[in-house]
Amino acid sequence: MGLPVTTPTAGPWAVVRAAVVAPFTRRAGRGLLFCLAGLPFVAVNPVVFFVLAVDLIWLVAGGGRGNPSAADVAVAGVCLGLLLVLLVSTTAARRLGSLQRLLAARLLGVRVGAPPPVRRSPGGRAWPGPGPRDGAGWRVVAYLLAKLPVGLIELYAVFLWIGGLVNLSYPLLWGAFRNHPPGARLSPVPVFTPFGLFGEGTFHVATLPGTFAAAAAGAAMLVAAPWVIRAVTSVDAWLIRGLLGPGRLAQRVHDLELSRALAVDDSAALLRRLERNLHDGAQIRLATLALNLGMAREKLGDGGEVPDAAAARELVDAALRGAKDALGELRGLVRGIHPPVLDNGLADALASLAADSAIPVELEVGIPVRPTPAIESIAYFCTAELLANAVRHSFANEIAIRAAGTRDVLLLSVADDGTGGADPARGTGLSGLTQRVAVVDGRLTIASPPGGPTKITIELPLRA
Amino acid sequence: MNARVVIAEDAALFRAGLVRLIEDHGHRVCAAVGDADALLAAVAEHQPDVVVADIRMPPTHTDEGLRAALEIRRRHPRTGVLVLSQYIETKYTARLLESNAAGAGYLLKERVADVAEFVDALERVAAGGTALDPEVVGQLLRASRRADGLAALTARERHVLALMAEGRSNAGIAGALVVTGGTVEKHVASIFDKLGLPQDSSDNRRVLAVLRCL
Repeated sequence: MGLPVTTPTAGPWAVVRAAVVAPFTRRAGRGLLFCLAGLPFVAVNPVVFFVLAVDLIWLVAGGGRGNPSAADVAVAGVCLGLLLVLLVSTTAARRLGSLQRLLAARLLGVRVGAPPPVRRSPGGRAWPGPGPRDGAGWRVVAYLLAKLPVGLIELYAVFLWIGGLVNLSYPLLWGAFRNHPPGARLSPVPVFTPFGLFGEGTFHVATLPGTFAAAAAGAAMLVAAPWVIRAVTSVDAWLIRGLLGPGRLAQRVHDLELSRALAVDDSAALLRRLERNLHDGAQIRLATLALNLGMAREKLGDGGEVPDAAAARELVDAALRGAKDALGELRGLVRGIHPPVLDNGLADALASLAADSAIPVELEVGIPVRPTPAIESIAYFCTAELLANAVRHSFANEIAIRAAGTRDVLLLSVADDGTGGADPARGTGLSGLTQRVAVVDGRLTIASPPGGPTKITIELPLRA
Repeated sequence: MNARVVIAEDAALFRAGLVRLIEDHGHRVCAAVGDADALLAAVAEHQPDVVVADIRMPPTHTDEGLRAALEIRRRHPRTGVLVLSQYIETKYTARLLESNAAGAGYLLKERVADVAEFVDALERVAAGGTALDPEVVGQLLRASRRADGLAALTARERHVLALMAEGRSNAGIAGALVVTGGTVEKHVASIFDKLGLPQDSSDNRRVLAVLRCL
């Protein structure tokens, strides 16, 4: 798998072997294919179109030798047209982008998400493509511009690989095809070098020993090729990630859409829970209370003699108990919706939580700037849930709650000296908290090794 | 009348209160259960005259009481079903009375506070009559498709119409309005005339006709 990595333990032979094998690994092959596949992207390029078009227009205009053929004019027109298509209809650019993403995923293992589709304003004018406002399309154009030099280097790497292979074969070819009788005049054979093909700077070999020099050069090129491929494809991959992906803004939008969905679900679930609590709690208690009072009223009769005073008294007592229960129930419910003490600030609310805890709580609060009510509420309910978790599951002797505010961040932590092993994958409590915190771009971190201690930290912005 | 009753209600205190109330009025509670499955089993076992069932019960806390009630009406047509709910929900009423208003009732839970009214409704349903909650009837009247037809009624006639929709007999209406039976008959005839309904002697058919018309 991949290019061999020399480790300190590998002997010199392993290094040599790795270097020899490197050009023929699957990864090198895929890289080579990717570089080859870059050819159309280098050719279908705004720069190429532009240069060709300008060049041909210059010819047409007579600045050059004059008398352009009809074919020259046609090529210039096509190039200009293609340039316009690429720049105006970014759909074309997007297609190229998605093709390149596909190649990168298949051959380099670089998986990049697609940019979000263009949002057309309803009733807006129909462009042939998304038009000049399509940021993702323009980023593809930018990629194509950057691809020109990168793609050329990639093609050069392909040349290194193929040229190296050809050079390496020279001694064999010499033996097969140049076995002429001694004294025959032979034309020299050109050798590929990393610096050129057949033109100037190319050297030629005319003797058998010379072919061994060519083979050595070929071997060197072949060994170097995978590294060049690796370097240049990683630059390409970096460009693909940066320019062909969803883009930072789109990614942010995606994240916000996710957290908004969570917030909506969360509030719907909250309302459902509230309805359930009211229906099964206070409402049925009040119905029972009404039932008891109704029966008591009947036992009291319509005036004058009381038919069954003892039963009436008993029923009124039951009604009284029911009224008190209903009040208690409502008090708990109200506190669950918004604890009144939270109006005095987080410090008081946390102190009241700490005072209610079954396990002793050491509380330390320092919040110089008061967060917005929504943040205070999230902070309070998260702390309440973490505290309840610690009391229920940790077997701790002591719990420490700290709340510290800076200029724009509120840091909350709930730590206990219990058994640890808190895991958001088990049960929905912690993952629910993580979601709730994420809605306001906050963060929840869990440090809870098995055996303890547990420390859960929540970071919240001061303003939601 | 001495009815045999099965109660299904998941809140224990309220259930105990219901049992006491019903037994205080000379009826016999054969079983008091807390969920729909137990209700169906108890009805099959005791074949009661009437069932008092909460709409929302475990396990899903949605409408299992209503579904059990429909099942009972299908399997045991002679058992009346009085559904108790904390909601004014005309859709539930419509499902309950879909084909047949005989031996069916839908009351808000708070009606139990008016013990005499509640027991009257229970006995009506046990005897094969109908009992609809006044709030539900009120909502039906407000949301009626026949607003213009209703506008032709006098205030007194609208009151009588509501009481009819609740499932009361002419005698019951006369008692509630403190008038004679003859006066009620006159009102009823006038209402049926104004709304274009066929005259019908049976109270249950009359309820259904009135509800359909709304």
